[in-house]
Amino acid sequence: MVKKKKGSILKVFLIFFVLELIIVFLSSDFNKQLQIGFQDGKFVFRNVQTTYDLQEKITEEFQIDEHYKRTGEEPKIYQSNKLYEFFKKIFGKASAIGTFQLLRMLLIVDFVLLLIAFLIKKRIFERPSKPQIMFELLYGAFEEFVVETLSEKRRHFTPYIVTLFIFIWICNMIGMIPIPGFMEPTRNLNVPLGLGFAAVVVVHVTAIKTKGLWRHLQNYINPVKNPLFLLDIVGEISKVVSISFRLFGNILGGAIIILVVSSLVKYVVFPVGLNLFFGIFVGTIQAFVFTMLALTYIGVEVVE
Amino acid sequence: MVEYIRIAAFLGAGLSVGIGAITTGIGSGLIAGEGAKALIVQPKANESIFRTMLIGQAAAQTAGIFALVISMLLLYGISEAPEGGWFKTAAYLSAGLAMGLGSIGSSYGAGYAGGQACKSVARMPKQSNMILGNMLIGQALAQTSAIFALLVAFLLLYSVPEQPEGLEIGNIIVKSLALIGAGLAIGLGTLGPGTGVGYVAGKASDMIGRFPNEKLKILRTMFLGAAVSQSTAIYSLVVAFLLIFA
Amino acid sequence: MELAQGIVKAAALLGAGMCMGMGALGPGVGEGFVAGKACEGIARSPENASLITRTMLVGQAVSESTGIYSLVIALLLIFST
Repeated sequence: MVKKKKGSILKVFLIFFVLELIIVFLSSDFNKQLQIGFQDGKFVFRNVQTTYDLQEKITEEFQIDEHYKRTGEEPKIYQSNKLYEFFKKIFGKASAIGTFQLLRMLLIVDFVLLLIAFLIKKRIFERPSKPQIMFELLYGAFEEFVVETLSEKRRHFTPYIVTLFIFIWICNMIGMIPIPGFMEPTRNLNVPLGLGFAAVVVVHVTAIKTKGLWRHLQNYINPVKNPLFLLDIVGEISKVVSISFRLFGNILGGAIIILVVSSLVKYVVFPVGLNLFFGIFVGTIQAFVFTMLALTYIGVEVVE
Repeated sequence: MVEYIRIAAFLGAGLSVGIGAITTGIGSGLIAGEGAKALIVQPKANESIFRTMLIGQAAAQTAGIFALVISMLLLYGISEAPEGGWFKTAAYLSAGLAMGLGSIGSSYGAGYAGGQACKSVARMPKQSNMILGNMLIGQALAQTSAIFALLVAFLLLYSVPEQPEGLEIGNIIVKSLALIGAGLAIGLGTLGPGTGVGYVAGKASDMIGRFPNEKLKILRTMFLGAAVSQSTAIYSLVVAFLLIFA
Repeated sequence: MELAQGIVKAAALLGAGMCMGMGALGPGVGEGFVAGKACEGIARSPENASLITRTMLVGQAVSESTGIYSLVIALLLIFST
């Protein structure tokens, strides 16, 4: 029964794929776009000529401040918003929209995190419910990683690690919700850079706590004990760069590829697969990798 | 000027798919060869070996398809009379170079991973689904560097500004060569990491076939090792961003 | 900008790109080799997993140093000319 259903869905996808290929080859012009919907009370299915230009679209999506500076108009959706007016006073007109959008998305992510925390805390029962089992499994898995990498007495790092994972995961997932103005906060370089910097600060604070300030500093300032100390300092900076640009590059690359490729194939079927790959698969793997790297950086420093 | 821009676009299109197809072929061939060897070792499991081989080849050709997309965009996505002066000329040539060079490492790596997976399926036909899943994850990790190259190619195609009027010749040379440098940086820089991550994925597929009980630990090490191996590709990405935007 | 000055700056920028590109080639392959062997080692003796992971990370950090040299040289070329 289930197998039969799977097959039929696959057939529908294949038919759409072939139709799409035919339409793309027939039109052979990247400025045309398929339009499906209602117009004047009639169902419309046709190929319309649009005059948008991909370059302007990329600028609008990824450098929104630059876009509004170039066109010189005010963004319509935010015009009457009190919070937006407030932001304009603080940051100036040039960078108000980008900052407003980013901070709004971050607040939404924080709200989701708090909601999860309250719901889980309120609903702890003897016989656990389904979400509780899910989160206990997640927490247990990460606790095992922490104990394995650090040691039994450093179990208290688990909440930090799990929070980092859930935060980055929700950040990567939230861009898939089709609401105008929604975007992944990790697409903006400032968010991964902040997270990476915080992770490296945690590494050094832990190292100072275990080894003592002087012994830890000797690695970086004493040329007798460590002849390559300059390289180590550059290495610490490159840790921040690599951990944050890895997240940023993957998410930004996915977003740009989704935008360009789906506008090339007229938004038929392809965006679903692209979102599955870049949104769910890459997003989850990058969140996991970021967390694991932060954990193992701590693990390398505290070895006795 | 119009002729120069179109010449650069066509040259970029040819370079992109021409260089990109080199190791796409080699990678697919590696998988096919290992699959044929695996069939001799374990003729009973021919169905699962054949499936692993076909899916692996399809996944190994992803970077080649990226190169084809860039090439199509350069051929058909540019108007009859493009504007933009030397900046656009350099950007189009550089986009082709970036994607072409950038797909070499990833295709070879994905091919190696697929070949090891075929070998592994022949040794342990019962675990074929798990090996197939691991192979796909590993190949997707190996394609990450090709995705970086694709990102830079898209940025070069669509976010380079047009050349302003009345610019001095020195500034024109500086910006144009900076754009070509960005393409070379990401193109050559993804070559090593792509191959390296492919090696990690191949070894992980091989070992999951031999020791299926240690699946989770192997997967975790694969993620970590692959992520760290990519850091030089990320430095290249940073340098390419600096060269394009600064 | 004068022509001669422009050529020098342009050569520096092109050199920065090639420096980072070629410098990333070796470390990428090398780090991948380290990680692949670490996968093999963990599969063969899973009880030493944390030790092997740590060794892998330290080894990769050392092999990455030539990549970091290239990054430093590329940044110097971009910003100091």
